[in-house]
Amino acid sequence: MANQAGRSSTAQERLSQVSDHLSGRGGRRGKRSLLEKHPDDIVVTCALRTPITKGGKGGFKDTAAADLLHGAFRALIERSGIDPKLVEDIAVGAVLAPGGGATEFRAAALAAGFPTSTACKSLNRQCSSGLQACVDIANQIKAGMIEIGVGAGAESMSQQYGPQAVTEFSELLENYKEAANCKVPMGVLSEQMAKDKKIPRSEQDKFAASSFHKAVEAQKKGLFDEEIAPLTVKWTDPKTDEEKTITVSRDDGVREGITAESLGKIRPAFAKDGSIHAGNASQISDGAAAVLLMKRSTAQRLGQKIIGKFVQASVVGVPPLLMGVGPAAAIPVVLEKTELDKNEVDIYEINEAFASQCLYCINELGLDINKVNPKGGAIAFGHPLGVTGARQVSTLLTELRRTGKNIGVTSMCVGTGMGMAAVWVAE
Amino acid sequence: MLEFRTQGYNGYSVKYSPFFDSRIAVAASANFGLVGNGRVYILGLTPNGIVVEKWFDTQDSLFDTTWSESHENQLLAASGDGSVKLFDITLSQFPIQSWQEHAREVFSVHWNLVGKDTFLSSSWDGTIKIWNPNANASLTTLPTHSCTYSAEFSPHSPSILSSVSSDSHLRVFDLRTPASASNHLTMNIPIHTPPKPRMGAAAPVGVPPSEALTHDWNKYRDTIIATAGVDRLIRTFDIRAPAAGPIAVLSGHEYAVRRITWSPHLSDILLSASYDMTCRVWTDGSAMGVGSVRQENMVQDDPMVYGGGKEMGSMGRHTEFVTGVDWCLFGAEGWCASTGWDERVLVWDCRAIMQ
Repeated sequence: MANQAGRSSTAQERLSQVSDHLSGRGGRRGKRSLLEKHPDDIVVTCALRTPITKGGKGGFKDTAAADLLHGAFRALIERSGIDPKLVEDIAVGAVLAPGGGATEFRAAALAAGFPTSTACKSLNRQCSSGLQACVDIANQIKAGMIEIGVGAGAESMSQQYGPQAVTEFSELLENYKEAANCKVPMGVLSEQMAKDKKIPRSEQDKFAASSFHKAVEAQKKGLFDEEIAPLTVKWTDPKTDEEKTITVSRDDGVREGITAESLGKIRPAFAKDGSIHAGNASQISDGAAAVLLMKRSTAQRLGQKIIGKFVQASVVGVPPLLMGVGPAAAIPVVLEKTELDKNEVDIYEINEAFASQCLYCINELGLDINKVNPKGGAIAFGHPLGVTGARQVSTLLTELRRTGKNIGVTSMCVGTGMGMAAVWVAE
Repeated sequence: MLEFRTQGYNGYSVKYSPFFDSRIAVAASANFGLVGNGRVYILGLTPNGIVVEKWFDTQDSLFDTTWSESHENQLLAASGDGSVKLFDITLSQFPIQSWQEHAREVFSVHWNLVGKDTFLSSSWDGTIKIWNPNANASLTTLPTHSCTYSAEFSPHSPSILSSVSSDSHLRVFDLRTPASASNHLTMNIPIHTPPKPRMGAAAPVGVPPSEALTHDWNKYRDTIIATAGVDRLIRTFDIRAPAAGPIAVLSGHEYAVRRITWSPHLSDILLSASYDMTCRVWTDGSAMGVGSVRQENMVQDDPMVYGGGKEMGSMGRHTEFVTGVDWCLFGAEGWCASTGWDERVLVWDCRAIMQ
């Protein structure tokens, strides 16, 4: 009686239960049913990443993407204790590697200890490649094609970022306006979008500074330690040209002491009167991430420790010039599919490609900004293109588990105009 | 047909006393069980019709009731506030014991028919709890991780129990197995499995899972369990062959089936109550000698799945959802009682509606 609100929500739940009995929908969905545990759930038993380092000067500047991936695989096998023989397929998201990196990644898997019977593919859905890799593996498991798989991402922007990543457009493509738009550089179109959607520079700088601030705090408290697998690599000192062996164990793009004011002094990068600059856009970075997926029944049989489950993903297209609105388009779709209310989600990991587009999506969806990227995002520690989607899984699940919460969404905008989102539940 | 009105309370469950042929308990709730009080009625069947012998009021809605198997004056009620209450009808007003452990609405209570010293409850919180009326706390908690509408002890063994839940699974637990293995769970049968493909018949198509609301153990064939729920179908399973899928599929109800119960007198007869406002009597076909394999052409002759089981009659006197139905254990085989959201308890002879 003390809590009238509680009573009326109980009545509401009982009512919807009876109405579900009548409508005969295939079982209830929504938050309550998301938290249920079923033998055929697709669960995550290990999710980790290498540190993410600054492109061109960070700890991994001299390490190939496949070597980073090799490190992530080694750590995954060691931490999960999975018998590599049982892994049937691996999907690796990568954006810049020539040929998708298909050959090198297969080689990296073999070198990491997976037997020749473990298949491996690479895939490219631009900035969501890492998420797409996890979703592909989850769907393969769901469909019964495989029983255990790894979704991963690997990117060396130090070594592979540049104009060679896109070939010349043919006349045919150039003559079709929307097609030609696919080629407009991210910075340029985001600048235009920030202008059109009226996201002032001051807001962007404030958002970027808070991303740095959150990441610094998280790093100080050691909140990334659980998800990061340190990696020992060769590194050439740019001052002395001396080759050293170093162990990288933290994200080196995170800088202390950044404020909205200090960011306000940086010159815009894409237009004189522009608002986007190096400080409020994602960093160019190197890294790798891997996620081990299987059915709950399989995990229980093998004694694997379940840390979370994959529930549902969505992908939508948006106009190429408005690629930054991707999360605002994809998140409502995945929430609708799972019948979740946006307020029932505890944490949103939305990739910070640019402060402008991330902020736009948060405002457009009406999200509580305190629920978005609680440990900072790509502005603070970087966005190795193909890795981000897989990286978000470990970042999200660790934070959900640490704070005793359950439901999370990962999402990102995708170059050429797409958005992708996925719902995860920590256990 | 006898009738009683539970004025202001919508029926959720009705149970005949296992000790007296003239005593019935009804669990009912105000406002359709959405919000408000609950009430247990103890009704007497007399030459002058149905009379109230007693009632108990509760703070929250009541969704199920069951009689004690060891004490003729005691019965349990399952409450919306997560409590299980034991009432003694020789005492007034208050329950003699109330156990508050479930985190959500309790949807079923059932007394152990063989052991008689334990009972169980199942809840929306995704657990089944085993209790002893003399203990203050539950003896065992069995997780199902899914809203469990119905749980029942086997009428043939004191340590075997079963449940159905919103995840479309029939679970069987054996308390003699070590708890460490899988919380006593010995069987987990997907109810929506299509019947096994047979030669000479089209392969069955996939059936989507749907919430299971009720189930019951056959009183004569100790491995047969019937289930029913939102997909409007009644199915029977043989737990000796859990992977074989249902052996009989009975269709006819136009909305979700809320409760089913096997006859205490006849091994093939069951009774159902549904949101379509009817109670129906069914045979699963087993009394007609089905399930035999015709060896000559290898085509299995299994009329249970293909129509040997059938509806034998329908009772349409309720004017709202029918939520509870139970057989009288005594006297002529066929007497039963039903209750529903139309605030009525009907006592009737199902032989009158059989064709």
